[in-house]
Amino acid sequence: MLYLSQAIGRPVRDQHGEPIGKVADLIVAIGGRYPPVTGIVVNTNGREIFLQWQSVTSLDSGGATLRTSAIDITKFQQRPNEIRLKRDLMDRQIVDIDGRKVVRVNDLRLDEVEGALHLVAVDVGPSGLLRRLGLEGPWQTLARGLHREVPERYIDWEDVDPVERTIASVKLRVPHQRLAELHPADLATIIDQLSRSDRVGVITSLDDEAAADAIGEMEPETQVDILEDLEPARAADILEEMDPDEAADLVADLSEESREEILGLMEKDEAEEVQELMTYDEETAGGIMTTEFVAVRADLTAAQTIDRLRELEPTAETIYYVYVTDPDGRLVGVLSLRDLIVARPDTPISTFMYEEPVAVHTDAGQDEVTEVVARYNLLAVPVVDADGRLEGIVTVDDAIDTLLPQPSKRRLPHLFGRSGAADR
Amino acid sequence: MKKPALTLTPRAVNRVRFAAILGVLGPGLVSGFADNDAGGISTYSVVGVRFGYDLLWVLLASQIVLFFTQEVGARLGLATGQGLAGLVREQYGVRWATFMISAMLVANVGSIISEFAGCSAALGLFGWPSWASALLAATVVVLLLTRGNYSKVQYLFVAVGICVSTAYFISALLAHPDWGRAASSLVIPRLAASPAYWVAVVATVGTTITPWGQAFIQSYVADKRLGPEDLVGERLDVGLGAFLTNLIAAFIVVACAAALWAHNETNATDVATIALALQPLAGSLTTVLFAVGLLAASFLGLGVVPLTSAYAACEAFGWETGVDWRWREAPAFYGLMVFFVASAALVVLVVPSSGLVQVMFTAQVVNCLLLPFVLVFVMRLSADKKLMGPLVSGRFLLSIGWLGTALLVVLSVALVVTSVLGT
Repeated sequence: MLYLSQAIGRPVRDQHGEPIGKVADLIVAIGGRYPPVTGIVVNTNGREIFLQWQSVTSLDSGGATLRTSAIDITKFQQRPNEIRLKRDLMDRQIVDIDGRKVVRVNDLRLDEVEGALHLVAVDVGPSGLLRRLGLEGPWQTLARGLHREVPERYIDWEDVDPVERTIASVKLRVPHQRLAELHPADLATIIDQLSRSDRVGVITSLDDEAAADAIGEMEPETQVDILEDLEPARAADILEEMDPDEAADLVADLSEESREEILGLMEKDEAEEVQELMTYDEETAGGIMTTEFVAVRADLTAAQTIDRLRELEPTAETIYYVYVTDPDGRLVGVLSLRDLIVARPDTPISTFMYEEPVAVHTDAGQDEVTEVVARYNLLAVPVVDADGRLEGIVTVDDAIDTLLPQPSKRRLPHLFGRSGAADR
Repeated sequence: MKKPALTLTPRAVNRVRFAAILGVLGPGLVSGFADNDAGGISTYSVVGVRFGYDLLWVLLASQIVLFFTQEVGARLGLATGQGLAGLVREQYGVRWATFMISAMLVANVGSIISEFAGCSAALGLFGWPSWASALLAATVVVLLLTRGNYSKVQYLFVAVGICVSTAYFISALLAHPDWGRAASSLVIPRLAASPAYWVAVVATVGTTITPWGQAFIQSYVADKRLGPEDLVGERLDVGLGAFLTNLIAAFIVVACAAALWAHNETNATDVATIALALQPLAGSLTTVLFAVGLLAASFLGLGVVPLTSAYAACEAFGWETGVDWRWREAPAFYGLMVFFVASAALVVLVVPSSGLVQVMFTAQVVNCLLLPFVLVFVMRLSADKKLMGPLVSGRFLLSIGWLGTALLVVLSVALVVTSVLGT
């Protein structure tokens, strides 16, 4: 086991034990589970030379010994998947996937894995900090005297995501795969902690759906910042993946210029949907409803309706109710998923649907929507216009948002946060 | 289907514009106002009483230097999205960052003590005992922290800043100053050879350009997620902040010069005595205004100084960045806060006022020692093309910045030497 800080600055000797310079940095190849050390940077008389790892016989806290005596000074080509540990990782901010937060690298831990030296963990604890300051020894003596231990904290390299700017110097595309596996809410919290350019970098690396989910969990001001920083075409793609109601709220907050550009780049249907939703006041049923719902005609049978559901593949929050409309689009009934499944396949749905379902008007206030959802124990409530035509639905999660104190959680990660962020 | 229209509810549009405007205007302004904290007001008052209008040129000079250092700090924030402490750690390693943070913490305890002392002095003029004002000051800090909604606190800061400005502006008017002499002193330096004169020069500059002010502007800009496209608005903001800061300072100097120095009352050494001495010469309203201004400035300092230093420490060491703002999840941040408030309150209550001056002076010396390091870091970082991209400091900004830095280094060394020789 070796810490990077223990190797940096130590003497490098040739095969005869003659000192030729000092260890300046180590190079690892990113990609596998634990990145193997592939090279060493030696500082000789103020000049940096790169050596392949094959020419190193040993490396420990006493320094490095080389296999050769003559140094081959041919220019070392840094390959695209390689990074320098000290320059690119030490003291930088990384994302701790397990702890779901941004931390700073105090030291890097290297270990022999299958006979070769690999980067295995990131030291983010107090002991690493003390080691870097040269205070680990005295501190340990003190701690032992007090019968305490110096707290150590490591993050396995596997659970680490180096954010973009950290290693931008080597033009390495970090896939951020582990980040994408996080729950969108956790991902949003992490992205919120990053600087502006890193945020765009991370979002860019995610697929549209993951990006849309994460953005959906952010504070409105952060959402606007990110969308305006992204390429307009990419922003349009991400908006298409978001729930139309969320997308409409977000688009409404964009600057006029970006709004028109992004809407123009969205697919026609989606853009129209968003624009239509934007016409409603944010505080009404129309403002919080989504236009994603399942509506069928009354003359279908239960089996035909289930087939229709399979075709549409509705999202999780909208599958529980199937709404029944007449040829003019007026709401005439509702079916639950349960009703459909327990009914005999050939029964016409008109025979078992609930007629005159509970619905709210597009102008209804948020409080009214919440009350209706609570009183009738609904998972979603349909929203109709003045003529009774079905315009959208408000799902229970959007309805109860109004009940929570705003902001729902006291989350003030930024001391000097953007004005207005907490006013909502 | 309804016809797609781009009409929006007026509310949505207004909110965005409001945020966009205030989103940029602020950091420089707040930072400028906060520079005139309790220590600043004491210094300016004493300078006015002892040297009359003679040192006004220093204010103009330090305004220019302040503008450039703040501008470079703000650019660093815009380009990197990082605070100063984090950037120093990344570029110069953990030892320099630790040195900078430790010195800043020590100096800031001193600054917080002077904010507490400022509260006591101001409220003492209204007959409050010092324990009561210390209690009030501590309560204010705790409230700011636990109930702190920083986006609203920002408006409060600006409001308090305006309150301080108005108080001293009216004070200056009431003192019937010699405006002609004030104006000429502003642009024509009247140099003197006495050591006391030069100590006053250093103190004036040192209270305006501070290490924590440098850390504050950069963190503020970075945390607001401003980017390179906000450069123009930011420069306006920094310029306005630097201008207002020194305008207020000038009014304080002018008020004291006209009311006391012009009548040969040059013995007062602290702001409470000065405020009382103003009464027979410029009327009791001036005393009240001085006290109110000092109180507001002290509260502003109490709000900004502890937050900046605790924030910088957490940023450099990667502690609890972006955690939920709760006690249990941010022990280091709150631990530092408790340390600041408790130690400062304790010192103010226990140490007699004569010793307090010594404590505050020591803090000022630490600040002066730290400032050159901070400015050298800032200037070097701002010249790094890789880091700054298009915002890298040009030759003009660099030469002015280095010139200012060199002057401040000389002044700092001079202050330390004189203070060591003096004591």
